[in-house]
Amino acid sequence: MDKAALTKYILDKFAGKVDLLDTGKVEPVFRLESDFLLEFCRAINSDETLHIDFLCNIAGVDTGERFEVVYSVASVKNRIRFDFKIAMAYENAEVESVQSVWPGANWHEREVWELYGINILNHGNLTRFLLPDNWDQGYPMRKNWDAPDFVRMPES
Amino acid sequence: MGVIKKLPVYLEHFPGGGIVATSLDYVLSQSQASSIWYLLFGTACCAIELMATGASRYDFDRFGMIFRASPRQADLIIAAGTITKKMAPRLRLLYDQMAQPRYVIAMGGCTVKGGPFYYDSYAVEKGIDHIVPVDVYIPGCPPRPESLLEGCLTLQKKIKKQKIGDWS
Repeated sequence: MDKAALTKYILDKFAGKVDLLDTGKVEPVFRLESDFLLEFCRAINSDETLHIDFLCNIAGVDTGERFEVVYSVASVKNRIRFDFKIAMAYENAEVESVQSVWPGANWHEREVWELYGINILNHGNLTRFLLPDNWDQGYPMRKNWDAPDFVRMPES
Repeated sequence: MGVIKKLPVYLEHFPGGGIVATSLDYVLSQSQASSIWYLLFGTACCAIELMATGASRYDFDRFGMIFRASPRQADLIIAAGTITKKMAPRLRLLYDQMAQPRYVIAMGGCTVKGGPFYYDSYAVEKGIDHIVPVDVYIPGCPPRPESLLEGCLTLQKKIKKQKIGDWS
């Protein structure tokens, strides 16, 4: 399945719930609402044509206005891959865990939680992962984060 | 007697032998400076340069410097590479486990002042002198083996000057 066919298939199958955000250089990027996330993940995982069996990566993004969580997924069997994104406001940012679909999401979600402060619902083991265990300085990947010895690159 | 003539000693010749009088400080510091065993502590790319210095082309062993994998027998930590905030307590622990006298060389820009991670980094300790007392700083990213050798010779000079009780 090439990129155009994949895009058309997903947009047709989830019409009205999934938008195309970017056709992308290599893979298309979709956008969906966070309450549709788990249902979408289960659907693309169990769909025979897609058979998305591999979660490559979960990334948090702070755009300066809102949080985004980007999921990169792939199918080893069908040799396709694409990204999808959900956006949320700063206040009470939270997202459902996708471990029930791909168990490998565990560590990625811990990282997103730890660095951005995006709460992961139904995670089960939301503990410190990369930062020191006694870390008490907030969420360092946020745009407005600051600490006593943190030096921002001067604008040139 | 060739070597002994170079030493700052008082030498009295007697028939059938001699008496050498020197200071304990001098003998001890000479011995220490000539056999600095350093702890294996490479945390990033500077460790590659440290390995190159230990290998045959630059030959650290000329100065009696041999690596030890245990802090119990080490005299020197060459902190080669980026020290993150998570690594910092471990560095302090290893330093505390070493027997006195002990020395620290900060090798590379990261250990001197954060190096390329000075700006925009939440994870990197900006200079290991916040954690352990540093004797010699070697800037560079990474420093060439010549720089490291120069740093070690500087440390040797420092050790040769010290007296018993100057240990930290």
